[in-house]
Amino acid sequence: MRRVRRRRRAATGTVIVAAAVALLGGCGIQGTDVIAAGGPASFQAFLDREYDMLLFFRSPDGGLSPVIRSTAVSAAFGEGYVEAGAVETDGPVPTEKVVTTLLAGPRKEDRVAGLSTSLPLVRGGKVEVEPSPGGGVTARLPFALAGLDSTALRQLTCTIAYSQDADGQVVVTLTGQDGASRSGTCGLAPGDTGNVPAATGTGARSPWPGTPG
Amino acid sequence: MTIGLRIGPARRRKDAGQEAGQGAAATDNRSRIRAFGLRTRLLLAFLLVAGVSAGTTSALTYREARTALLETAQDTAVTSFRDHAQQTAFSLPLQRGAALEDVLRDIARKGKPHPWVVFAEYGSVRASSGENPVSTVITPELRRAARANPHGSFERVVKDGVPYLTIAMPMVFKTSPYSVLPSGLVLYAVMRLTDEQVNVDALLVAARNGALPGLAVALVPGLIAARSVLRPVRKLHEAARSMGSGRLDTRIPVRGSDELADLARTFNESAGQLERSVRELREAEERARRFASDVSHELRTPLAGMLAVTEVLDEDADGLDADTARAVRLVSAETGKLAVLVEDLMEISRFDARAAELNADEVDVAETIRKTLQNRRWTDDRVRTDLPDGIRARLDPRRFDVVIANLVGNALRHGGTPVTVRLRTEERTPGTAVLITEVMDSGPGIRPESLPHIFDRFYKADAARTRSAGSGLGLAITLENVRLHGGTIRAGNRPEGGAVFTVGIPLHAEETGG
Repeated sequence: MRRVRRRRRAATGTVIVAAAVALLGGCGIQGTDVIAAGGPASFQAFLDREYDMLLFFRSPDGGLSPVIRSTAVSAAFGEGYVEAGAVETDGPVPTEKVVTTLLAGPRKEDRVAGLSTSLPLVRGGKVEVEPSPGGGVTARLPFALAGLDSTALRQLTCTIAYSQDADGQVVVTLTGQDGASRSGTCGLAPGDTGNVPAATGTGARSPWPGTPG
Repeated sequence: MTIGLRIGPARRRKDAGQEAGQGAAATDNRSRIRAFGLRTRLLLAFLLVAGVSAGTTSALTYREARTALLETAQDTAVTSFRDHAQQTAFSLPLQRGAALEDVLRDIARKGKPHPWVVFAEYGSVRASSGENPVSTVITPELRRAARANPHGSFERVVKDGVPYLTIAMPMVFKTSPYSVLPSGLVLYAVMRLTDEQVNVDALLVAARNGALPGLAVALVPGLIAARSVLRPVRKLHEAARSMGSGRLDTRIPVRGSDELADLARTFNESAGQLERSVRELREAEERARRFASDVSHELRTPLAGMLAVTEVLDEDADGLDADTARAVRLVSAETGKLAVLVEDLMEISRFDARAAELNADEVDVAETIRKTLQNRRWTDDRVRTDLPDGIRARLDPRRFDVVIANLVGNALRHGGTPVTVRLRTEERTPGTAVLITEVMDSGPGIRPESLPHIFDRFYKADAARTRSAGSGLGLAITLENVRLHGGTIRAGNRPEGGAVFTVGIPLHAEETGG
């Protein structure tokens, strides 16, 4: 009888202590998980589509990093000024030139920031860009597509897409010298698939390796 | 016989009264120190209730306030950080160097609600507004979240006991008025939540300071409730003790109509019934005692006459013929016994009526005993004595004489000679000396089953011996006389054979005389 009562008393005590601990829930400030809070911050990047090229290189984490490169060729980017007289082109920079610049690889300032390219180094060779019959553009490239990884394909696709369209919402079809063909959109804009590192496998939503025709 | 039976309950009642008195003293000691009494329990219950309610309220308030405080700080910080980050301009690719750090320091200075440290991560570029280009507080989870989704996100991190708010802000730039592109640049802000910690601690202190006075206030009703319960209980306790010590007219004032009042009422009723029963019993006893006393008195007068006549008859018995002489002597002897019996009965009646008085006097005990033996002519070698001189005690000489005479006479009658009377003093407890008188015989001793009853009235140790020289009241009278002296008497058997009666009487003489 007494033992039962004692046991019950002990149980009551335990419940009270547990309730107190739960209520106090640890004093002070606790850590939290990662909590999403609003959109990203947009900064001024001085992108002028009339003179500037938007190239996509590979960042160390496997994602794509856009790089703005001026067509005011003689002056190295970041040296401060571009003379009005140096501007030769009128209207947007031709996509063929943009792709050629991309294929030339990252410059020194890009490499300093840790950027690289997955594309093969191609000198010479002609790049042709023309509208596709069903909308979008088709780019004929002077090398084989077969050996390229997905980062290389995305570099090409995004560079061409943003060259053709300020929003980058263009279906790009790549055709290599080997006749292989890849088609897709860039999908880097927020709300689309993000700037996902290739290794994480979220590329499932990316348009490759669909091969129409 | 009937007298003995009727007198019995009176003695039992007296003993019971003494025991009750001792019991009351014991409970008195116990009630003074009570660690887990009713009062303590009631107070604890009140404190518990108050503590739980105050604690719950405080804890909930504290939690809500803490959450609100932190959310405000976090929201302010995230919004402010985004606003400041949006006012920046970077070229792509990001150039490391002093210019970048200046921009970061500029953001860091504008930190709200506190200054923060701003870190920039782009490609392999790591820069910060502080001394270390890479933060040790930012977790890989936050980095992953910032890289995976172009959303601002924050995480609260406690590192080495210091809470930090870490904010990740992926930077995008406009490619057209309606479209933005992630730049690969992520800005992080790391803010110490020191002030928030202080505020939260202050909240905790406030909650505690609010709860403690609540507990103190809860003590007041607790004490009042305990008092309202304990006062009747204490009254009841006192009344019960008072009744136990014989004051049967004790009653409790009944106040209110709660359970305790019911208890008091029941107690009063029971006490009333008990008082009635005891009064009836006492009256019956009184009647019985008076009857015995009256009978003895009534018998004494005719007996005195009869004794005178039988004495005359005894003297003339020699002149009568043999049969008549034997009859006359028998009548004479029985009349003598009857007279002794009546005297003893009257003596015991006086004891029962508490009419017996102790006429104490300081005497030489050895001398008193010797006188007793001389008066009874027990001076031959049937009685041996071991009486050291010089022991003085306060005794009633007449009653002590009765005690010694009864014991020695009893020993001579039922035990074997020689009978030894021994006197000594003994220190029972320090400071109280006791006069010990032992009367030993050399007979077969007392049978063990008779020992507990040896002082009973009319008890016959030998069932076969229905008639004896004694009245059957001798040892009972001895016991009463010893008790009157405040002493004890014990009957037992010696290991070497023979009964021994031990009388112990406190030596008041030494206390008062010294």
